[in-house]
Amino acid sequence: MKKTFALVLAALTTTACLTGCSKAKQPDTASDLAYIQDKGTLVVAVTDYAPMDYEDENGQWTGFDAEFARLVAEQLGVEAEFIEIDWDRKFLELNAKTIDCIWNGMTITDEVTLNTSCSNPYVKNAQVVVTNVNDAGNYTSAEDLAGLTLAVESGSAGETALKELEITDYVAVRNQSTALMEVAAGTADACVIDITMANAMTGEGTSYANLSKCMELTSEEYGVGFRKGSDMTEKFNELMAQMMEDGTLDALAEKYELTLVKNG
Amino acid sequence: MELFGTVSLELLRGFGQTLEIFFLTLAFAIPLGLPICFGSMSKFLPLRILTRSIVWVIRGTPLMLQLIVVFFGPGLLFSLPAMGRKEAVILAFSINYACYFSEIYRGGIESISKGQYEAGQVLGLTQTQIFFRIILLQVVKRVLPPMGNEIITLVKDTSLARVIAVYEVMWMGESFIKSDGLIWPMFYTAVFYLLFSGVLTVLFDRIEQKLDYFRG
Repeated sequence: MKKTFALVLAALTTTACLTGCSKAKQPDTASDLAYIQDKGTLVVAVTDYAPMDYEDENGQWTGFDAEFARLVAEQLGVEAEFIEIDWDRKFLELNAKTIDCIWNGMTITDEVTLNTSCSNPYVKNAQVVVTNVNDAGNYTSAEDLAGLTLAVESGSAGETALKELEITDYVAVRNQSTALMEVAAGTADACVIDITMANAMTGEGTSYANLSKCMELTSEEYGVGFRKGSDMTEKFNELMAQMMEDGTLDALAEKYELTLVKNG
Repeated sequence: MELFGTVSLELLRGFGQTLEIFFLTLAFAIPLGLPICFGSMSKFLPLRILTRSIVWVIRGTPLMLQLIVVFFGPGLLFSLPAMGRKEAVILAFSINYACYFSEIYRGGIESISKGQYEAGQVLGLTQTQIFFRIILLQVVKRVLPPMGNEIITLVKDTSLARVIAVYEVMWMGESFIKSDGLIWPMFYTAVFYLLFSGVLTVLFDRIEQKLDYFRG
């Protein structure tokens, strides 16, 4: 009896596994745009990153990218759904179709173009060094950074900028806010973060009033990442060009103090 | 003080997710452990090899990796639409814990002396009757301490769910670093884990006392 019971259960488990695996291998040639419109939601991967994507008091996602994403979703006739993800797993999420795009002030780097079908750039950004207000005057060129304890987000454009300057003894932290925290807590002398974030989070009237940016390392551009080979990229570029033309994006950029990239 | 309240509320919200993962995992893993246990004790060799291999793979790889495989695997390998994040957590945790539980059950069942089975046979009971009427309750009593151990481990393992962005209490604690520059909420999450495992410890002590009336 015990044996029969075990056998039946094992058989059930095996069939469950097999049917699970053999079911519906969808053709990869299908249009990604159609897939998104079909399910009615555009799943947008974000992290808490003011002023691009952040939650307002009511827990609603807002910011330049969030508003932009809602406008695009509206044009596509779908609902924008925001999911806060672990940034380290963004490409995995995208390929596994657990999200539809990465839209969170993402700098267009080789890594991004290799792993996603990236849109045309829409906002210009720069990597800046942020330090204590009192020290800001002392650090004006890349040479001044030698010997300092630097905090930078692991895998970020800031880290790439440091590597290009052949600075290797930095502390790689989980995200840009942690990098700021390190400087505020005095555990790092300076950190390298995006200029948009530096503008929004440092200086008077912010939680980091005693920090300020002291120099620009590199400048860069933001893009939206879609799945490799997706027809969404083309559609997005088309919609974005329209919004650039009719001034919708200019208004948004002004609201969040950002600089648009206009490419004719 | 108001800040403390806000943080507590947010963490409590996250802890709700933690509890949900915890209880659902137990609800599935405790029964699922039994067939796996029978499978690995089966006299039918292929079945025994199959179940023991599954247990080997599940116990031999990190739970974090299993979580990633369960959630991202279907989409990556078979282009299947994504399953819910919480569903993936429950699935991965249930399978993982069922395997650990099955070994605890096996230990419990094999520790029961042969004499108990023989006594049942003398009384004319069938194999099934012997198992459910004589053996099972003694097994329950014996596996209780190791089960308590494993269940308390589960309380803390729930924090792995944040790998696939399920907003449990640790994620909530960490998110205060990102959004508000507050570090203490992350350490504050320890209070939630400690209180809950404290409650479980007391609970298991009680159950052990209740089962003390007969000697296995």
